[in-house]
Amino acid sequence: MQSDINQNPDLAGSPGATTGAGRTMTGGKAMLSVQGLKKVYQTDGGPVEAVRNLTFDLRAGELACLVGPSGSGKTTLLKCISGLMAPTEGEVLLDGTKVTGPPKKMAVVFQEYGRSLFPWMRVRENVELPLKNQGMPKAERDRLVDEALEAVGLSHVPLSYPWQLSGGMQQRVAIARAVAYQPEVLLMDEPFAAVDAQTRADLEDLIRTVWKKLGVTVLFVTHDIDESVYLGERVIILSSSPTVVQEDLIIDLPAERDQLNTRALPRFTELRHHVYEQIQLAKTGHRPAAASH
Amino acid sequence: MRIAKSFLYVLGLPALLVLIWWLSTLGATSFFVPTPGTLASTFAKTWFGDRIFTDVLPSILRLLAGVSAAIILGILAGLLIGSIPWLRALTEPVLEFFRAVPPPVLVPVLMLLMGISDSMKVVVIISGCIWPVLLNTIEGVRAIDGVLSDSAHTYGIGGWARVRYLVLPSAGPQILAGVRQCLSIGLILMVISEMFASSSGLGFTIVQFQRSFAVPEMWSGIVILGLIGVAMSFIFQFTERRILRWYYGLREVENAV
Repeated sequence: MQSDINQNPDLAGSPGATTGAGRTMTGGKAMLSVQGLKKVYQTDGGPVEAVRNLTFDLRAGELACLVGPSGSGKTTLLKCISGLMAPTEGEVLLDGTKVTGPPKKMAVVFQEYGRSLFPWMRVRENVELPLKNQGMPKAERDRLVDEALEAVGLSHVPLSYPWQLSGGMQQRVAIARAVAYQPEVLLMDEPFAAVDAQTRADLEDLIRTVWKKLGVTVLFVTHDIDESVYLGERVIILSSSPTVVQEDLIIDLPAERDQLNTRALPRFTELRHHVYEQIQLAKTGHRPAAASH
Repeated sequence: MRIAKSFLYVLGLPALLVLIWWLSTLGATSFFVPTPGTLASTFAKTWFGDRIFTDVLPSILRLLAGVSAAIILGILAGLLIGSIPWLRALTEPVLEFFRAVPPPVLVPVLMLLMGISDSMKVVVIISGCIWPVLLNTIEGVRAIDGVLSDSAHTYGIGGWARVRYLVLPSAGPQILAGVRQCLSIGLILMVISEMFASSSGLGFTIVQFQRSFAVPEMWSGIVILGLIGVAMSFIFQFTERRILRWYYGLREVENAV
């Protein structure tokens, strides 16, 4: 089954698929561009190389998933992209502009929903705060907040505190906050890792819906292989640390996806199988040929 | 019904204590322990008159001035020191030193430097009760959750907005714990600052009564101090419950899990 994929010209023959870098675009058409990103942490025990050399582009409106074995520097990469941390080498471009601090056009949804919402603010205030901070007029703010809460199915709890809600609902609030912010790029750092399986399926569909509705560019980091294949138009597989791109895979599943039918497709199984094998290879230390230098 | 019940809880033990006191002083003739009746009449005679304006109110005003200044200065300095790592490293040993100095020993020095004035007394109060607020604020600011801080950062919340929406509320529980200590230290220092050299105030009056063997009057002054303490504590609890409603709710949820 795996050989099918490798013989598929769309996949294995794609540029950069086995060279340690992901797909890139020419002419500055990329919405998000990661170029030669390297991050080395200086610790007491000496330097630790978390990310060696990452290059990939996301076009505007794309939904890409990033998977990798645990400890492959996914969080480090996300922090560099979101401008929370400066890379040691290389750069991140957002719509052609170099990222040096958290950019206005970007929103981040963190894994720890319980620690990313302000517990002293009600749901509505949490969603509203970034807009208020921009000095947006009240009427416009109210409209965006209402729409965002509606979109995540939470219009009935605006006056609750986040900690009064279930984990899944809290993560919905965080998503609503990101949506109301009207970002051009939405970064998600394993957002559903801490919610139960059923809630997770609902939230995955929510992300697909929101993404289609807003036309936003999404980079979704996960360690869940099924999730990455189900959600993404593209899956970027990272190698083990020090990290490079192990493979950049197009997910050629139909655009309309649903939990039952999509996951039952033979193609879904093939892709899932392929990603799984790549991750296993990555874990055993196999690296793309061009990245071993 | 519920109001009556909580009323009973609040007043039950004090009533019982007064009863025991009354019973144990029945037929006793000790010069130093007045009966509840004597104390009550002395209390009214001593304090319901000019003394309210010449002694009680000035003391309370100095206490309020000292405590509010200590809270404001403590929080401002704490925000600053807590947010800047090198400043914290620089100031921490010095702060610990000053905190360890018992403020009553400063009274004579401050008297020499500032004269016997209201501002001297207020400074004594500040010098003692700023420390719990300051140190707790520093600790609270330092302990802000990294993810919460990152969230605020990615949404462009910085500068004053960060202080207002993130730092202050997040450090709130610790700041208020410091304020609680600050209030009780403030009351003690209010009395002490008036004991050394003064011509008015509660501390001064109580010492006067002691020296002239006006025992029931002295006790009534002590009762006033206790009542001020109780009033401050009630006001504090009321305010704290409102500010930290989210915190107590959150803790309840966390404990229930």
